Amino acid sequence: MTPLVAHSVGRAPPRAAALWGIAVAGAALAAGELAIALSSDASDLQVALLLWITVPYIAAGLVAWWRRPDTRLGVLMIAGGFAIGLSALQLARHDVLYTIGAPFDILPAALFLHVYLAFPSGRLRTTFERVLVGAAYAAAIGLQIVKASLGGMGSQNLLEISFQPSAAEAVERVQLVSLSVFCLAGIGVLAARRRRGERPHRRSLALLVDSFAVALVMVALLFLFGAFQGPAFVEIQRATLIVLGISPIVFLIGLLDARLARSAVGDLMIELRAEPAPADLRDSLARALHDPTLRLVYWLPEYGRYVDLDGSPADVADEPGRSMAVIDRGSEPVAALIHDSALDDEPELLDAVGAAAAMALENARLQVELAARLEEVRGSRARVIQVGQRERERLERNLHDGAQQRLVALSLELSLLAKQVREDPEAGRRLDRAQREIAHSLEELRDVAHGLHPAVLTAHGLEVALEQVAARAPVPVRLRVEVDGRLAEPVEVAAYYVVTESLANVAKHAQATSASVSVEERHDSLVVEIVDNGVGGADTERGTGLRGLADRVEALGGRLRVWTPLGKGTRVRAEIPCA
Amino acid sequence: MRVAIAEDSVLLREGVARILGDAGLDVVAQCADADDLLLKVRSYKPDVVIVDIRLPPSHKDEGLRAALEIREQHPETSVLVLSQYVELGLALKLLADSADGVGYLLKDRIRDVDEFVAAVRRVADGGSALDPVIVSTLLSRERPDDPVARLTPREREVLELMAAGNSNQGIAEKLVVTLGVVEKHVSSIFDKLGLPSTRSDSRRVLAVLLFLRS
Repeated sequence: MTPLVAHSVGRAPPRAAALWGIAVAGAALAAGELAIALSSDASDLQVALLLWITVPYIAAGLVAWWRRPDTRLGVLMIAGGFAIGLSALQLARHDVLYTIGAPFDILPAALFLHVYLAFPSGRLRTTFERVLVGAAYAAAIGLQIVKASLGGMGSQNLLEISFQPSAAEAVERVQLVSLSVFCLAGIGVLAARRRRGERPHRRSLALLVDSFAVALVMVALLFLFGAFQGPAFVEIQRATLIVLGISPIVFLIGLLDARLARSAVGDLMIELRAEPAPADLRDSLARALHDPTLRLVYWLPEYGRYVDLDGSPADVADEPGRSMAVIDRGSEPVAALIHDSALDDEPELLDAVGAAAAMALENARLQVELAARLEEVRGSRARVIQVGQRERERLERNLHDGAQQRLVALSLELSLLAKQVREDPEAGRRLDRAQREIAHSLEELRDVAHGLHPAVLTAHGLEVALEQVAARAPVPVRLRVEVDGRLAEPVEVAAYYVVTESLANVAKHAQATSASVSVEERHDSLVVEIVDNGVGGADTERGTGLRGLADRVEALGGRLRVWTPLGKGTRVRAEIPCA
Repeated sequence: MRVAIAEDSVLLREGVARILGDAGLDVVAQCADADDLLLKVRSYKPDVVIVDIRLPPSHKDEGLRAALEIREQHPETSVLVLSQYVELGLALKLLADSADGVGYLLKDRIRDVDEFVAAVRRVADGGSALDPVIVSTLLSRERPDDPVARLTPREREVLELMAAGNSNQGIAEKLVVTLGVVEKHVSSIFDKLGLPSTRSDSRRVLAVLLFLRS
């Protein structure tokens, strides 16, 4: 399989020879620094501090270049390390070495600014950042050469063309002040990113960016003190060098952290071997990726969309700070991980997790597909019942407003007529008979209409409607309804029919002497329970009554259960979600 | 005696108005919906309103709501609710506070003109009228070792009439017995059911209803 993780494939990794070459050159440089320290009168501490920066930067740069050949970050870091190392040549007593080292005195500041702003992709993101870094290079290299040509770098400087100390000093001041301004602007860029929520989520990376900001503050401070001969310049210089050396160490810790994260893939493999339920799969992946915000969505080709675990359509629109990694199996997507964008820096981890989990995800996807289908079936069943219910309500209404009303009026008319024909006993008798017929029809019609739909339920709710149901039961019924206000109509209707049908069964089969009905809301469900003290042993398969009830209840995502042990009464219990 | 009628079927509304008019009652308002009824109750102050439980626009419970509102805001106006169905729950809701000046009858009862007019008068006078179906439904249940089972057939008859809101005098006329005989039956019923005796006809309607329901 090829995980289709969203990252560029880019350049090939550097050849090992190149890396080794750089490593050897770095080691040679470090050795050279040491030699200079031993041979010159420069303080040992000064050289130690320069080494403290040179070695970690070159080492971290090599690792970064090797691991992320597609970013320029590693190269930049190596350059920074060498620049610092070369600047140490200034400490040598040898003129040529001094002249080589002098231009690198200020350059590291521009390189560090470049590294910090280009982290983690190795690229500067905005024009402003590019202009800023470009200006920093111009100030660090250009003005340094101008300064050198004016003799601003002491007697060993071979680049000196004319000796104008005051002009050189002015150039140096401009150079230092402008670079410290650029560093402060760099802090501004980092702060703005943080405000936009681009701060990395992984703690080691966040710390790294913080260390960049501190380093920029120190460099800005150092240059301002240098430009205006502030007090304690040497102490500040040492503190700055210490701080600058921290960043690559934090960087290496971050890489180690990522390695540890990849070792979590091994744990994931072990967890997956136990075939976790689809619901637990996300948690396993979130643990392996160290991203508690991870969302897992499944691709349903038949529906052409992503869905959540329960089969409902998932929103996979782009969100700031979130990225999506599609996991394929064969040529079809199986699922997608919607993860913290910080993980974009670790494509190998995403690939490894995706590869490890592909089979389990495929299985989960099939289950999710089934859930989606079930959801669809449930929805259509609910709609069928709903349509039936609406039709029954309409028929009841027609009967009530039409035939029933007319028959009552007709009956009244006949009464009035009877009064007028009082002298004719035969007519009176026939009118009386006609009236009794109408009364009979009205009763039958009433039963039909009420059976179609209990109007009182729609108008007044369960509590009121069930009073009459309980009153009409052939045995005394203890009725308890604890419902706060009204519920959704389908829920009320289903509960009503559960009670009426169950009481009808009590009348027909149970041989009970009493029954109880309780209806109450419990944890977002309406719990309806009908218990009788009859003979039990009811045949739950016979007849359509219970099956129809179960359909109604299940269509609403609820369930109906019947306990009917022989000789111990019958208990019908329906739980209908009503949140 | 001033009567207001709220019923959306013209045929029925006019029929009821006619029989009440013939019986010498003064029909001061005929309304097709609940809002009109409330308006006319305010201006005409009838002694009793006869209201269909289902009125426009939704034909759900507009009539019942109007009845409850009239009972609350115009206690001097009695309310007789008519319905195609009898619902114990609605009866209990209507009679919740007191059965004084409240009636709840099936629409079919209109056809027995004399009985219906008597019920209207009784309710208008502050008495009550409860459809006999409600009481007979409750009485028809089989109850093991139930005090109702100890009533004589005659006492059951008296109980049903009593629960329907009839006065002792009214029961005596219906059963063609003397008032004294009815009073004897009534006190015997109250004894057997263990109910506290009450002089008010409407209060005993509620007492019997609640007793039978429990």
